[in-house]
Amino acid sequence: MAGNKVLIADDEIHIIHVVAIKLRNNGYDVISASNGAEAYDVACAEHPDIVVTDYQMPLMTGVEMIEKLRANEATRDVPVILLTARSFAISQEQQESLGVSACLSKPFSPKELLKSIQDILYQRELAVTS
Amino acid sequence: MKTARSLAWVAVTVTVASLCVAAVAELQDVGIAAGGRNPVAGLRLALYAVAAVGVVFLGSVYFRLAGVVTSTARQLTLEGSEASAETKLQGTDELSAAVNAYAAGREALVRQLCGELEDLRIRARLSERQKRHTEAIVYSLRDAVVVVDEQDRLLMANEPAARLLGFNAEDAHGCAMAEVCGDKHGEFLEFLRQSAQSGVEGTRREMEFALEDQPHVFDTIVSCIYEGPKVSGVVAVLHDVTREKEVSQMKNDFVSHVSHELKTPLASITAYSEMLADGEADDEATRKQFYDIIQTQAQRLNRLIEDILNISRIESGLIKVTKEPVSLAILIEQQMSMIRKYAEEKNITVSRRTPIIFDQVYADKDMLSQVIVNLLSNAVKYTPPGGSVRVATDVDEAAGRVKVTVTDTGVGIPEEELEHLFSKFYRVAANNKHAKGTGLGLNLVKQIVEKVHNGRVFVTSKVGAGSTFGFELPLAAAEMAAV
Repeated sequence: MAGNKVLIADDEIHIIHVVAIKLRNNGYDVISASNGAEAYDVACAEHPDIVVTDYQMPLMTGVEMIEKLRANEATRDVPVILLTARSFAISQEQQESLGVSACLSKPFSPKELLKSIQDILYQRELAVTS
Repeated sequence: MKTARSLAWVAVTVTVASLCVAAVAELQDVGIAAGGRNPVAGLRLALYAVAAVGVVFLGSVYFRLAGVVTSTARQLTLEGSEASAETKLQGTDELSAAVNAYAAGREALVRQLCGELEDLRIRARLSERQKRHTEAIVYSLRDAVVVVDEQDRLLMANEPAARLLGFNAEDAHGCAMAEVCGDKHGEFLEFLRQSAQSGVEGTRREMEFALEDQPHVFDTIVSCIYEGPKVSGVVAVLHDVTREKEVSQMKNDFVSHVSHELKTPLASITAYSEMLADGEADDEATRKQFYDIIQTQAQRLNRLIEDILNISRIESGLIKVTKEPVSLAILIEQQMSMIRKYAEEKNITVSRRTPIIFDQVYADKDMLSQVIVNLLSNAVKYTPPGGSVRVATDVDEAAGRVKVTVTDTGVGIPEEELEHLFSKFYRVAANNKHAKGTGLGLNLVKQIVEKVHNGRVFVTSKVGAGSTFGFELPLAAAEMAAV
């Protein structure tokens, strides 16, 4: 929903840039990180409503970062969208065990990413209100 | 035998002669007494005649029988296999016919037995030859081959099998496999037993063995040997697939890396194009920014494809190489002028020691330019603002070689990563945050220098202090002289 905070983690500055523009144009607050370790630290400090992360990043991969988020009580329930050029690198079972809400393959459509974010946050809000 | 027959002939002749003399005497007696009839003398004369004929007949039979016996004995002892004409009696009486039939039967039997014996000898020779051929094939195979009987005893093992399973093939022959292998290779022995029990042809399993203290994967095929319906043993062939698996893994990794590297710029191009198409860029400046990003990402994609293709062409030997005498001094100066703008943006100085004039190499100019620009751009990329990049050329005329080094004051590379630096898609993880890269540039440098120009690449580095990358090539004069 508009006003929600989105953390984008990617080592490609252009990807962060384009996603940030798309989300800001649609009313979201955007914070970013260029590797997994930085993303985890930002998530712990900023408590985003949703995380969009690349799979392959320096220092700490997206999957390692998600595992750390799940192990931390403060970030355990944050929804995560995996954005990856290696769509075959993570199985459906692995996605489920990590609690990944959606997995989008690069090249991706910013429109589709926005829709995924909206759907996930809407479902989450419904779950909270019910 | 001949002597006995001669003596017998003498005996018969003497006997007949004696009988004849006696008969003549009787005839004289008969003649003397002719006047008065002498029936006793006549009877004695007749008896002599009968005795002489009998001796001749018996002598004849003796010699024929002796001939038959001799011939048969010869056949049976295989001193000769030809049927002898001597064995046939000339007479027409029943005894002759019986003896001749008997002799003929024996001769036929002997011929048949001789034929069968010869067949067996030929088969034995063929079997021995096939065995030697099979052994030669088995012993020359690089795959390990083990043959065991139905009681798990080792019948045959070639050298690779002995080396793999750790026994001496000659000493172990006939021993139980459990004894030969000791407490090792339990899974393999169990596989042999299971295959023998199941009787299934060609059961297959991948098994791990240690070879020279390194784990190796073997594709193991076990086939049953049948004697009639019964399994009399098994043959195991173990093919080392470790390298094949590594190559397969490398191919998969390569495809995975390539697809990731291609998709990354493509993702930017797709996303920015969609944003432009959807009118998400409000003003002209933003649109211009988007166009620029699309353009640079498209160029990045093109460079990446070119690098991959060049590496692939060099590796497969399909690249067109046009060598000519090239002055390294001029080439380095050209590439330095190209990189200076990028270096100035980062406030990095790029300098070189006074160029040496006689540094001509026999090289493909475009490819060597690529080598120099890759080393220079890497140096600038991984050097923090305010740093420096120095280029130097050293000529060793005695050795006929020239060395080019590019030294930076950059972030440096951990020692344990140095040996991997020139591998395809290898990137120093700790340095990823300093610059983007595909991990192909240094591999291309190595391929061009070493595969195309018969040179060598090298690197030294210290974390936090900087790195020196370089290459060494034969001087044109030395190379031309060698040709």
